[in-house]
Amino acid sequence: MSSSDASGDGRTGTTAVGTTDIAPKKPGVKAGEATVDYVDERSGATTGLKWYLFRNIPAETSWFQTLGFTAMMLFGLQAITGIVLAMYYKPDPASAFQSIEVITNDVTWGWLVRSMHRWGSSAMIVVVFLHMARVFFFGAYKYPRELTWVTGALLLVLTMFMGLTGYLLVWDQKAYWATVVATNITASAPLVGPFVADILRAGPEFGPNTLSRFYSLHMLVIPLGIATFIAIHLYFISFLGIAEPPWSKRRFRAKREEQEAERERAARTPYGRREVPAVGPPAPEREPARAEDGS
Amino acid sequence: MNRGQKEAYKRDYAQAKKEGKPFFPYAVYKDLIVATLAIGFVIGLAVWQRIPIGEPVNPATTDFVPRPEWYFFFLFELLRIFKGQGALTPVIMATFIVPNVLLVLLLVTPFIDRGPERRIWRRPIALFSGIAVVFLLAYLTHLGSEAPAGTEEVQLENLDPQGQAGLDLFLANGCLACHTVAGVGAPGPGPGLTDEGERGRGIEYQIEHLRDPQSTTPGSSMPAFASLTDQELEDLAVFLEGLGTKYTAP
Ligand code: HEC
Ligand code: HEM
Repeated sequence: MSSSDASGDGRTGTTAVGTTDIAPKKPGVKAGEATVDYVDERSGATTGLKWYLFRNIPAETSWFQTLGFTAMMLFGLQAITGIVLAMYYKPDPASAFQSIEVITNDVTWGWLVRSMHRWGSSAMIVVVFLHMARVFFFGAYKYPRELTWVTGALLLVLTMFMGLTGYLLVWDQKAYWATVVATNITASAPLVGPFVADILRAGPEFGPNTLSRFYSLHMLVIPLGIATFIAIHLYFISFLGIAEPPWSKRRFRAKREEQEAERERAARTPYGRREVPAVGPPAPEREPARAEDGS
Repeated sequence: MNRGQKEAYKRDYAQAKKEGKPFFPYAVYKDLIVATLAIGFVIGLAVWQRIPIGEPVNPATTDFVPRPEWYFFFLFELLRIFKGQGALTPVIMATFIVPNVLLVLLLVTPFIDRGPERRIWRRPIALFSGIAVVFLLAYLTHLGSEAPAGTEEVQLENLDPQGQAGLDLFLANGCLACHTVAGVGAPGPGPGLTDEGERGRGIEYQIEHLRDPQSTTPGSSMPAFASLTDQELEDLAVFLEGLGTKYTAP
């Protein structure tokens, strides 16, 4: 219905911008625009995306403020390489180790995907830690970004749990016994420790079923948790806006201007006395007493 | 921050935004450059150092070196520091108290440090504690990364046949991965056992501990060696009880 007149309103931001005024649009372009309009009318997707992309952020942002995005991209890389590994991996104690051998030695580029997944996990930890350090040293966790920090801290913990659960999946001696130690430590925690350990191990003993447990945690539970918390984290960040570096030139300039104004004011007042700035709440506007009030 | 400081911050930030630039492309291009470099770096590492294949799991023999990923080394190192030898070093410090205190501190940082100042050189406490945490983590990670000593010969004097059998079991079961005897083995996470006999635990206790370390030492992270036969357990226990009393390092 409205698709026919959509091309007439001189919209910008679509691929057809350059050709609009010169020639009639190609049918493909027209159909594409119509589709975008159709979806936007029913979801606000384009409007939302435009708001997200073209909203203003402080002019001076530091290179250190790219680390959060980098962590997110590394998570994406882990997801992609992980999906490829999952196509060949067999979560069964009898064949897990062998399937890793197949991936490493036989599958085309398999060694690369596995090596990238392993190195990527370390890289992600490093980048998330650096991101946290930059937030700390920028004071960017302060009002109003406290909850952004809390969701971020949970992301750090979840990322470490990814490392812990993924380590066991290769089913080699080193990882197996390290994980035995880790679950023993869990079991020794007061109160809930034994229960959590039983859930992790799929029983009171570390055994074959433990592998399936860790597989499910590593492939489903924790990634879903990370994706959810990244979504919340990003929502907070776009809602509040990214913090300006505390040493921005703009803030120094604002401060200097303020001081200059102050000095000027001091110079204008006789005998070097400072004018007393008007502080405190403005005097409340008094409503005239009305007859109905009684007293 | 009190109300006025919050208002001042909001006003200042609104001003910064008004004088600001659009997210796209001014921030996005930086993000893309750094993220691309990072991904390229990961690919480079993967090509340069392929991840090797380890040894298949064998739950029966424990001649292993239990090593976690490097980013858990700092926790692993805590196990070496708090290994339940003295009243001040209970195992629970390493397994529960310290990690959870760290976790809680991490979560509540913004609620502890609520001042309006954001410039790091005006926040001496934050500056100091931030640097201290980074150095401490780096130091613990470094200590935890030190590989356990190689498999040198364990030299003990006065070994009788049962002691020799115990020593063989001790070597075959990878106890050296967590313990030292006569200067050989890894200095942690378990305590040194060169003088274990002098602690006067008794054979019964040792067998019980090997079968189920948690039963005698709540919170122990030592794996259970329940698959050993009664005879093997006894040989091991006799060997352990003789360490430092009968079987001494030369
Ligand atoms: C994964 C690491 C690890 C391995 C492998 C290990 N232990 Fe331990 N061991 C520990 C830890 C941690 C402790 C301290 C907590 C405890 O007492 O249980 C310990 C404590 C001990 C103690 C002191 C107990 C006491 O209360 O006096 C003895 C004896 C001992 N281990 C013997 C052995 C023997 C024998 C083996 C090999 C069959 C072995 N350990 C393998 C970690 C390990
Ligand atoms: C998987 C891990 C994480 C991802 C994907 C992630 C992603 C992001 C992104 C994209 C930003 C935008 C600004 C920037 O890039 O610096 C950001 C900001 C932020 N992050 Fe994270 N983050 C993660 C972990 C953490 C951790 C561990 C913390 C702290 C404990 C944290 C706290 C914050 C805070 C407070 C901000 C707002 C900073 C500001 O507005 O200047 N994040 N995060």
